[in-house]
Amino acid sequence: MNSATMSDVIVLAPELILVGMSLALILTARRMRSTSAAAVGTIVAALTAALASGWVLSLGSRTAFSGMITLDEYALFFNVLIAATLAIVVMLSVKSLDTEQIPRGEYHALLLLGATGMMLAGSALDLLTLYLGLELMTLTAYILVGIRVERPASNEAAIKYFLQGSFASALLLFGISLTYGVTGFTDFASIAAAISGQGLESNPLLLVGVGLVVVGLAFKIAAVPFHAWAPDAYEGASAPVAAFLAAGSKAAGLAALGRVSMAAFGSESQLLALILMGLAALSILGGSILLLSQTNMKRLLAYSSIAHAGYALLGLIAGTPEGTSATMTYAFFYVFMTLGTFGVIIALGSRGENLEGYRGLAAQRPGAAFVMLLFLLALTGIPPTAGFAAKFYVILAAVGAGYTGLAVLAVACSVISAFIYMRVAVLMYMTEPEEPAPAAFPTAVSAALAVAALVTLIGGISPGSLAPWVVSP
Amino acid sequence: MTAYPVLTVTTFLPLVAATLILLLGSERFARWIALGGTLATLAVAAPLFLYFDKTSSALQFVESREWIPALNIDYSMGVDGISLPFIFLAVLLSILCVGVSWAAVGTRTREFYAVLLVAETAMIGLFAASNLFLFFIFWELIVVPVFLLIGVWGGPERVYASVKFLMFTLAGSVVMLVGIIALYDASGTLDFAELAAGASIEPGRQTWLFVAFLAAFAVKVPMFPVHTWLPNAHTEAPTAGSVILAGILLKMGAYGFLRVSLPILPGAVQLFLKPMLIISAVAIVWGAYVTLVQTDVKRLIAFSSVSHMGFVTLGIFTLSQRGVEGAILQMINHGILSAALFLMVGMIYERTHTREIKDYGGVARVAPVYSTLLALFCLAAAGFPGLNSFVGEFLIIGSAFGTEFWLGVMAVWGVALGTAYLIWLYYRMIMGEINPGLAGLAIELNAREVATLAPLAVLAIVLGLYPEWVLSYLHVPVAELLGSGVSP
Repeated sequence: MNSATMSDVIVLAPELILVGMSLALILTARRMRSTSAAAVGTIVAALTAALASGWVLSLGSRTAFSGMITLDEYALFFNVLIAATLAIVVMLSVKSLDTEQIPRGEYHALLLLGATGMMLAGSALDLLTLYLGLELMTLTAYILVGIRVERPASNEAAIKYFLQGSFASALLLFGISLTYGVTGFTDFASIAAAISGQGLESNPLLLVGVGLVVVGLAFKIAAVPFHAWAPDAYEGASAPVAAFLAAGSKAAGLAALGRVSMAAFGSESQLLALILMGLAALSILGGSILLLSQTNMKRLLAYSSIAHAGYALLGLIAGTPEGTSATMTYAFFYVFMTLGTFGVIIALGSRGENLEGYRGLAAQRPGAAFVMLLFLLALTGIPPTAGFAAKFYVILAAVGAGYTGLAVLAVACSVISAFIYMRVAVLMYMTEPEEPAPAAFPTAVSAALAVAALVTLIGGISPGSLAPWVVSP
Repeated sequence: MTAYPVLTVTTFLPLVAATLILLLGSERFARWIALGGTLATLAVAAPLFLYFDKTSSALQFVESREWIPALNIDYSMGVDGISLPFIFLAVLLSILCVGVSWAAVGTRTREFYAVLLVAETAMIGLFAASNLFLFFIFWELIVVPVFLLIGVWGGPERVYASVKFLMFTLAGSVVMLVGIIALYDASGTLDFAELAAGASIEPGRQTWLFVAFLAAFAVKVPMFPVHTWLPNAHTEAPTAGSVILAGILLKMGAYGFLRVSLPILPGAVQLFLKPMLIISAVAIVWGAYVTLVQTDVKRLIAFSSVSHMGFVTLGIFTLSQRGVEGAILQMINHGILSAALFLMVGMIYERTHTREIKDYGGVARVAPVYSTLLALFCLAAAGFPGLNSFVGEFLIIGSAFGTEFWLGVMAVWGVALGTAYLIWLYYRMIMGEINPGLAGLAIELNAREVATLAPLAVLAIVLGLYPEWVLSYLHVPVAELLGSGVSP
């Protein structure tokens, strides 16, 4: 075993920056008097990590620690996306941290560690690194969901999430061990070489292993039938934490799925296509239908995120670089539109968590109603928003791979989901307000909303703008 | 030619005006900015009409910029003789919409005019787009403003009507989206001209694609039996919304047949010819009967659109030069007349606050100008010789007789019923003794309202006497369209 060299460390620079800031926050947590210091520190760390990723990659794509981890264009894409998620979630948390007495230092430290895990999941070149990254992400997520310790709902959500999450981790680990048992390797390149080199394509144990790995990852992105944790966790968690889960852990899970299916299990494409097709169809159908009966906005967005996980998977089914790029595009735009929607919910306070709370919002706060409408249109997939661009790419990938029936199902379900998204629009624009106008939004929340709205709009007007960045592994 | 990209400027100027209205934040100046914006749009569109070459079937005022290079999709615009009249109609009706809303819209005026102007951008852009991707963007872009127009500023049942409109159109258009993507997958381009030139998609696939596009077009036209959103939407919408719906939105579907189905999927068109003709004939006659029994004047005019749009699809699917030209002319005519009728209903409703026909009667005694203009538009819509609809209906009926004798009979039957419901409406509203409920109301039109209706009245007469004005734009592109292998 070689000792770590400078060249190894530099590949980990983005993650190290986040961990460093996390440690600094934990050490100073006792003395922290204001939220803004922790928030600014976290945002600076997130932006530095994103910049560092770009800088390291500009020195050349490379692997580190004997090929356990890499910083290539694929990793850079998700590092930047996760850094943006982290920064926006921190901006959205400013208000709720003060009103809900959440320990500031620990909260931000956990967010930073969670983001570190997410970045590792996108950078991993080895099943074990991948597992470690995902576990770091979910472990911090359990605590974040339960961080409002006085609230029974928060505790209940954390326990439920923990039990189901551990089960999923066990499945993932079991899948990894089966794969190792059959191929003798845990790193992606060697697994791929072993499968095609030794003709293991139809080895039953390997098939089970691949299936279990995919199922374990499906938990992380909350694809049906592994979605049951999401609505409870989102509802029990504070809204910014729910946003972090909906955006960040979905992006990380998709990053891992994309990497694994392209780099490690490329020659099992038939099995992968079959599993992913089932997951996608069930998620889109289940998410859209269950969406209809929701009256709590966080639960509503949980089911929305389930359906969107299904749409994002449409790209991966094809097993082609174009398909993976489509999924990357989907993940990117989805993150911003879902963070934006959560942003409006957070900005409106307790009123925002209830569907009926949106009554007459357009008359009271036209600007907030307008950006909400924009995000809702994006979630539905109506142009000229990024949601349409994202949907266009994944459906193109599905049709290109010959899954026209699945594409029809996907768009049909987007019409079903439009019922509930437009229900919010109807309440905002076409009913009279029943509650007093919401208080002015904190500057940080407004800024986060503006960023999300801008990306959602630009992505719709210029659907090809991400093309140079979505490079399949 | 001209120094600026005419189509882009014409399309997006209303959007700029809408942004301006929202940014300035003044409720009082909103309508002035909207009026200025719509008039300026007419002004910048002027070169389209001045410098258009009617002898060419090629796209003119072409603009193209790289948009999504990875997918070979460009931002490309261009007009031919088929799309140009619609752009004129959209620009004109938008001005009139501002005119009729001047005093009628009193709540959230800023947002109202902003939404109206966004709708104008979508309407113009749709007819200017020269590739299917851009076409789809504008196709969807118009849905949200119209949804808001109906749902926020509409009548008592506005929310139901707006959601029904939204769900019907969305359901149709997402199926079209899969069709567009499948078409792209099969041919690698979405440019209308390139798609039509290389129209060699295998027959089985053409059939499915035709059905996918039909889903979207049929809802918008609307064709029987997916027309049920129309009476709700038209009736509940504010006057400007009804004008946009009847004047432009209904034409989008038929325009889609001409732009996509006929040139790109000629094989499937042959296959579906009979069913399309039968549905059209049913829409004409059935729509007219349903119109006859309406007791709400706005709903009556709304239902008459089903019958009138049946004529349009009938004309298109006769696939003859006369029939298609007649259908396009009839679309323009219907755009003018249904807009005019909705404007007139809106104007009288502002004063009486009732839409029930039985609450009217004897209006001629107190409002001679109103009654005269309504007579003109009713006669024109009924196909009175010398007024605009006559020519379009004549061309369509002629070519329907040429296709199948019974189709012609159905069409004539529809015209007869049309005359009946319009004249009967006029008789009940305007003639006879004055309804006591109207006593004391100042029903006569004011100068702003007459000015709003005047352009439409002039067009109804001019197009009746000199239809060649529009038809001259159509001869070459329609011949080109039918010459490319779609005609029987």
